[in-house]
Amino acid sequence: MSVARHSQLSPLQRLLQGTPGLWIVLAVAAGASYGFVQSPRSLPVRLLLIFSLLLIYFMPQKGWIKLLYGGGMLLIVLPYLGLFNPFLMELGFQIAAFATLAIGLNIVVGFAGLLDLGYVAFFAVGAYLWAFFGSQQLWHTDEAPGTFTIFATFPFPAWWFWIFLGVGVVGAAFTGVLLGFPVLRLRGDYLAIVTLGFGEVIRVMANNLDKPINLTNGPQGITPIQRPPIPSFFTSPEFLEQLGQLAGRPVGLNDLYGFFFYFMAVAILVLAIFLALRLDNSKLGRAWTAIREDDVAAVAMGVPLRRTKLAAFAIGASFSGAMGVLYAANRTFVSPETFSLTVSISILVMVILGGLGSIAGVVLGAAIVTMLNIDILQTLSLQLSSLRQGSGTIPLLGIPWASLPTQLDPARYQRLFFGLLLIVMMIFRPEGIIPSQRRRLELHEEPAQEPLAAQLEGELEPDHKLES
Amino acid sequence: MRLHRPNLLLEVLRPLGQLLVFILGASAAISAITVLTAFLIRGTRTDMDLLQITLILLPQVLIDGIVLGFMYATIALGYTMVYGVLEFINFAHGEFFMFGAFAGVEFLVWMQGQGWLPDGQGWLAYLLLAGAVGVGMLISGSISVSTERIAYRPLRGAPRLVPLISAIGVSFLLQDVMRFYQSTANGAFYRTFPTFGGFSERITLFALPLDDREITIAIQMTSIVIIVVGSVMLVGLNYLVNATRLGRAIRSVAQDRNTAYLMGVDVNRIIAVTFLIGGALGGAAGVLWSFRFTRADPYMGFFPGLKAFTAAVLGGIGSIVGAMLGGMVLGLLESFAAAYLTIFTRGAFGAEYKDIFAFAILILILIFRPSGLLGGKTTQKA
Amino acid sequence: MRPLLELRNVTKCFGGLVAVNNVDLQIEPGRIASVIGPNGAGKTTIFNTITGIYRPDAGTIRFDGQNIAGKRPDQITAAGMCRTFQNIRLFHNMTVLENVLVGAHTQTPSTLWGAMLRTRSFQRAEEKARQEAIRLLRYVGLPAGLGDQLAKNLPYGQQRRIEIARALAANPKLILLDEPTAGMNPQETEAAIRLFRRLRDELGVTVVLIEHDMKVVMGISEYVTVIDYGQKIAEGTTAEVRKNQRVIEAYLGRSAPSEQGPVGEGS
Repeated sequence: MSVARHSQLSPLQRLLQGTPGLWIVLAVAAGASYGFVQSPRSLPVRLLLIFSLLLIYFMPQKGWIKLLYGGGMLLIVLPYLGLFNPFLMELGFQIAAFATLAIGLNIVVGFAGLLDLGYVAFFAVGAYLWAFFGSQQLWHTDEAPGTFTIFATFPFPAWWFWIFLGVGVVGAAFTGVLLGFPVLRLRGDYLAIVTLGFGEVIRVMANNLDKPINLTNGPQGITPIQRPPIPSFFTSPEFLEQLGQLAGRPVGLNDLYGFFFYFMAVAILVLAIFLALRLDNSKLGRAWTAIREDDVAAVAMGVPLRRTKLAAFAIGASFSGAMGVLYAANRTFVSPETFSLTVSISILVMVILGGLGSIAGVVLGAAIVTMLNIDILQTLSLQLSSLRQGSGTIPLLGIPWASLPTQLDPARYQRLFFGLLLIVMMIFRPEGIIPSQRRRLELHEEPAQEPLAAQLEGELEPDHKLES
Repeated sequence: MRLHRPNLLLEVLRPLGQLLVFILGASAAISAITVLTAFLIRGTRTDMDLLQITLILLPQVLIDGIVLGFMYATIALGYTMVYGVLEFINFAHGEFFMFGAFAGVEFLVWMQGQGWLPDGQGWLAYLLLAGAVGVGMLISGSISVSTERIAYRPLRGAPRLVPLISAIGVSFLLQDVMRFYQSTANGAFYRTFPTFGGFSERITLFALPLDDREITIAIQMTSIVIIVVGSVMLVGLNYLVNATRLGRAIRSVAQDRNTAYLMGVDVNRIIAVTFLIGGALGGAAGVLWSFRFTRADPYMGFFPGLKAFTAAVLGGIGSIVGAMLGGMVLGLLESFAAAYLTIFTRGAFGAEYKDIFAFAILILILIFRPSGLLGGKTTQKA
Repeated sequence: MRPLLELRNVTKCFGGLVAVNNVDLQIEPGRIASVIGPNGAGKTTIFNTITGIYRPDAGTIRFDGQNIAGKRPDQITAAGMCRTFQNIRLFHNMTVLENVLVGAHTQTPSTLWGAMLRTRSFQRAEEKARQEAIRLLRYVGLPAGLGDQLAKNLPYGQQRRIEIARALAANPKLILLDEPTAGMNPQETEAAIRLFRRLRDELGVTVVLIEHDMKVVMGISEYVTVIDYGQKIAEGTTAEVRKNQRVIEAYLGRSAPSEQGPVGEGS
């Protein structure tokens, strides 16, 4: 697959070839960084920063150069810039977090071809695991929500976070298997609906498990959830002062946590990418592709259908579980609302937008959708509301901004954008922005043996239902 | 070979009879189970007579369940028809339902603005309600057909998941389009169903003495209207599919699209018509739904849509009679769960769990009897 | 000699239709055997029942000393039996090499942890599987360098060969070939027959074919079983079957002589 990348360069890639290319990318990155220092709150500058990362991915250079550039941006430049505007770290955290989720979902949907619409459930499992044990909820299991006070101590000390990172992985993987078992034999579209139902079940349970035993504190959610302790070296006044001098403003514990969660999320993301790539190029990865392509042939070649599908569910879920634990610690608060169907779908949008089965595509998709969600739409909303407070009129229409109803808030119309994206992608580019080599071929030509396969599938069903 | 000549009377009476059997059978079964449960666990509660409470609530719960069942059945028909013809889960069907609801409500609100809504009962009220249902059907039907043309037809022949994802997209898009429209037009994203025509009046059928209390069996006009409209829809569709030329074309496409095409059936037109009918039925259900729950909002389609899909699968997807049965069973189950779950479990499980109920049933059905209650060996076709 | 594969009273129904009716079949190790019969006689259903895609409604199937009736297809493959399909079922969007590697699924000992950590043993197993796959592709007569092509981009005859290589990768004792020469021209067919012989002679694999082409059947089969209406109507050597009255009737009585010709007229 890597052969194709070198043989056919896009115009952009040709521009970025050789030594001039190195300088061009460096110039863009430096320009974006300089722009950020000058105006830390500007949305276009943030977009330029993301764009420079994309350029690094696309530039046709040796692997270690790209790694050097990318690593330098992610680990040094972005955190440095984060000193000037902490929102950058929040944005980075969210993108990395959702990219990890998208990679996990990609294993299920992209690799194994099982459309899972309730993926957010695994995220919820991870988040609620740490929320329950990392807060004081354990002491309030026999009390109704909202009736208790917060004590000074927690049942588990904060460093248990590290253990729960592992517990989250295992818990989510277990839930994945639990979901996988009953739905294994379902055909693709039924599977989608059932997993969607499963996601809703988890959410409804989170909403209602405040009785008979108060596990989730119901719709009010659980708070405060502990954050892992930061080594005292970083929290020392001297260190903070030095950082403050660098930033030109006082730097506190919250900023430190901003950096901490950013680095954590990036680390987990890198690990996830690494594992996903390795799995894709292994026996298991081939088995996933094989069952996606033709499950009858796959099973006839000795691929155990059940175990292979369960592995996809479990591994996909485990990424999500780890991120859930991290997310709960980051927010210090979880509530059922965080785990709605919209989140599942937005993760699906990331995967589809970027390219089913393509790791790089999925990360890009996560960056785009997350930017849209928490940055671009929010910025538009803010600007709209400031316009609304002014006395100007809408150009061309002549209606005063102030007369626009507050309901017309771009940030509330995520579903509109997601829906549109899904339809447009499916019709015009089902293989995504950065397609995996395989998908590009697959989605544009109908497999020759589809009708026959479908026929045999129909014949096969009764027996597959009987066994196991 | 002798040509099958459909008998109009028979085609009307048969589904009505089936419907009646379903309602009676399902009601009797679920009531018996509930009363038995109440009897068995009556010792767990000392603060109330569980059996008595159960019996007092029973008539109303049954009527609510049947009404809900009719609405689910009507929505489920849209899923089942499209699935029968295309083997495709129309994820956006719940949104067609929602558009129908808004269209009906908007129509009545406009009438209200003109001062044409009567307060009391009378033929005018029924006429206006019928008008609202008609408008709802028209709008949903058109949305359904346009959606098929724009977002589904180009994807026919693509791998199975591609149109499904597109349908999810349509579903999300339509929700926010309606929200956007309502927000700009009204400043609020939901609409209230105008009160008129005295539909909320209750008709007392009879009263039964029970110990020291009395069970009144009363039915709201709203419920009667929904049951009547629902029955008309179901019977009408059944007639259309089983006894007309168009119906025969639809069935032939459902059986084998390629052969139907070779036999001269305009497959694209038939698929469009299927979407039109399915969407229109969804729209009618939407108007009834907002009539019953007095409100329309952009996200109202999600749960009813999912449950109706469950109903369609429960009855055997692709089967019209199955959709009616599935809808009825699900409606009753949900109504009973909402009413009795809290009482029976001493508040440990709230009525909110009724939404999970549908999914639990769906999963169980798909695992143990994927062809549904009425489906035959083949899971695929109508 | 003890048979490698033995079907006893195997029956498979679909609804009211009895597709396979009380069939006995014995395949001795090291044989090249054929199952023939008119279209719709139930040959492929027998294959599907043997390989576990269908579960027999009655009867026993013993393979290599163990009862495999009711086992899952992947378990049966792991036990040493692999197959090809009548309408080629390659993984179209995987490369040729990957197709063969999937065939080697049961023969590759790598684990999940091995794959994640890229352990020495994982790498060794992967490399070994790769080499073996390349060797198999060469063995079935595929030109070198096709390994990185997508399977669906290759011509029909080569796809058939890849399917055989994929089945061989499972290291089978018995290979079931479902109409392996369908759609081939005479030269290709001849080459295919040579290949089937080599599978038995060089690799020691027992070969069972379903065939329509009587030239193929009579050319290489050492033992022929004739199926009609789901029942075994004759078996024996080619010469015996050729003379069997019921066989001649089954073929002549059903299909026009011009289409296939009675058994034995082919050569």
